[in-house]
Amino acid sequence: MKTLIIGEIINNNLSSGTLEILGKAKSMELETQVITVGSDDTPTIGLNETKQTYIKRSNSSLNFSKVASKITEIIKNEDIKLILGSSTYMCRDLISFISVDLNSSPISNVIDFDLHDGKISTVNSINGGESLYKAKINSDHSLLLIRPKAFDPAEVELNTDYETIDVDNSDIEVFDIYIEEKSGPQLEDSKVVISAGRGMVDKENLEMIVTLATKLNAAIGGTRAIVDAGWMPYSQQVGQTGKTVKPDVYIACGISGATQHQVGMKDSKYVIAINKDEEAPIFQLADLGIVGDTLSVIPKLNDNL
Amino acid sequence: MKIAVCAKQIPDPANEVTYSDGIINRPDEQVLDDTDRYGIEVALQLKEKFDAEVTIISMGPAGTQKGLQQALQMGADKAIYVDDDSLKGSNSLKTANVLSELAKSLTADIVIFGTESTDGYSGTVPQQVSRFLDVECISYVKGLEVGDNITLTRQTVEGSEKVNMPEKCVISVTAGGVEPRYPNFKDIMAAKSKPIEQISLGDLNIVSEQNVEFLNVDTVESSKAGEKIIDEGEAYQEIVNKLRELKVI
Repeated sequence: MKTLIIGEIINNNLSSGTLEILGKAKSMELETQVITVGSDDTPTIGLNETKQTYIKRSNSSLNFSKVASKITEIIKNEDIKLILGSSTYMCRDLISFISVDLNSSPISNVIDFDLHDGKISTVNSINGGESLYKAKINSDHSLLLIRPKAFDPAEVELNTDYETIDVDNSDIEVFDIYIEEKSGPQLEDSKVVISAGRGMVDKENLEMIVTLATKLNAAIGGTRAIVDAGWMPYSQQVGQTGKTVKPDVYIACGISGATQHQVGMKDSKYVIAINKDEEAPIFQLADLGIVGDTLSVIPKLNDNL
Repeated sequence: MKIAVCAKQIPDPANEVTYSDGIINRPDEQVLDDTDRYGIEVALQLKEKFDAEVTIISMGPAGTQKGLQQALQMGADKAIYVDDDSLKGSNSLKTANVLSELAKSLTADIVIFGTESTDGYSGTVPQQVSRFLDVECISYVKGLEVGDNITLTRQTVEGSEKVNMPEKCVISVTAGGVEPRYPNFKDIMAAKSKPIEQISLGDLNIVSEQNVEFLNVDTVESSKAGEKIIDEGEAYQEIVNKLRELKVI
């Protein structure tokens, strides 16, 4: 099946989400090409075995609708049937636009898919990951938005050998671009993640989480509740509307474990949860549950590491 | 200025979600999706600036209309909705098709959404509506400043960026972006006399088909609940031991 992966760039390279989808496409032996969208000058995104096209846009213009039109044109010209992208801001925009052009509804939150008799069937996670919804796509085109960490990444060597296409700006000018400072291990690829929830009571108490994270070389995440409350930037949110993490060890501190949060961390290999409320849903997912006050357990932990 | 803002009625999230043939079972009484409160709040802030008319647009079983009432209580002027059995289990594209037709019927300049519904969370409908309406989509808005221009702050992967709101567009608003207002008693009473109109599906130009065939829903075995220890002052030691065993330290 002729397949297109809409790729993204992070740190001048293909994003982990893109590589995960490429890994799946390779394992299914799909006839795959990648169109990567970004605004870097010459990112290292070329692939030895797979055709790569770079759609270069200016980040001073909100022009994803124009990018989508370009991709639709290529899909039609090359008779591509399967279109894949990560569940990221950009791919959600692009695949939504393209779905209208192709008159084919996309499927979101896909965690697995398969090809039978020329039709794509999908598994997607619904109800905060508590249920799996299986469906088959009957239209000419299949458009899937894939959750991060669903597949093992392709192992590839990247180069700078690809065709570049420029896209016009739109009438909407972008200004005041702000890039949050990142320091320490990053959520997506850290082996240990420590997340904080409302049970930390006060923003100032996050200091003890920082101390623990430093001792364990861990990345720090948080629930939607504390991100909404302004304790942490959105980039550190773990959950349905934030990041999906899959570390070796996940330490949930004062997190009740709403389904919103669970869907972002439930595939962690080993979960340690500390919560006052013995009935908190997070304990359903925990390999080791400590029923107790996070604010007293963590400082003792810090003193003994 | 005319503003359409989407409000979805969903089963009370406090209750467990159940499915029949892959479609969420919807009780007669549904509530306003909290996600939509952020979109409504943005609409109301624009209304205060421009004296705009704010109309709620909705699709789905109307039932007791509690969710629509809740949207009107916040301060929207009226509501229109489509409730048709043939739309049950609609995919995101068809939903977007219906909602964009409702926005067209209002000749809305600005159409506002939450980023994704709490029960379906496909997260694609706002962008699809913008494509049907052939206007730009300002997605993932987390703040607005009302001055000479309306400046919208967008959430991005790396941080944020700003754009000025064009005269016609679709906006999706992230949860937590603005502080939705709570209606007082007067607002709640006033909402009762606001018009709620049902629009017939037959009056709308629907071009999209159901392309997704439901196969089945499985519940995930989530219970891996392991050891649970009540902290009597020494539980930290269990964590230290475990971290050692896992070779984290």
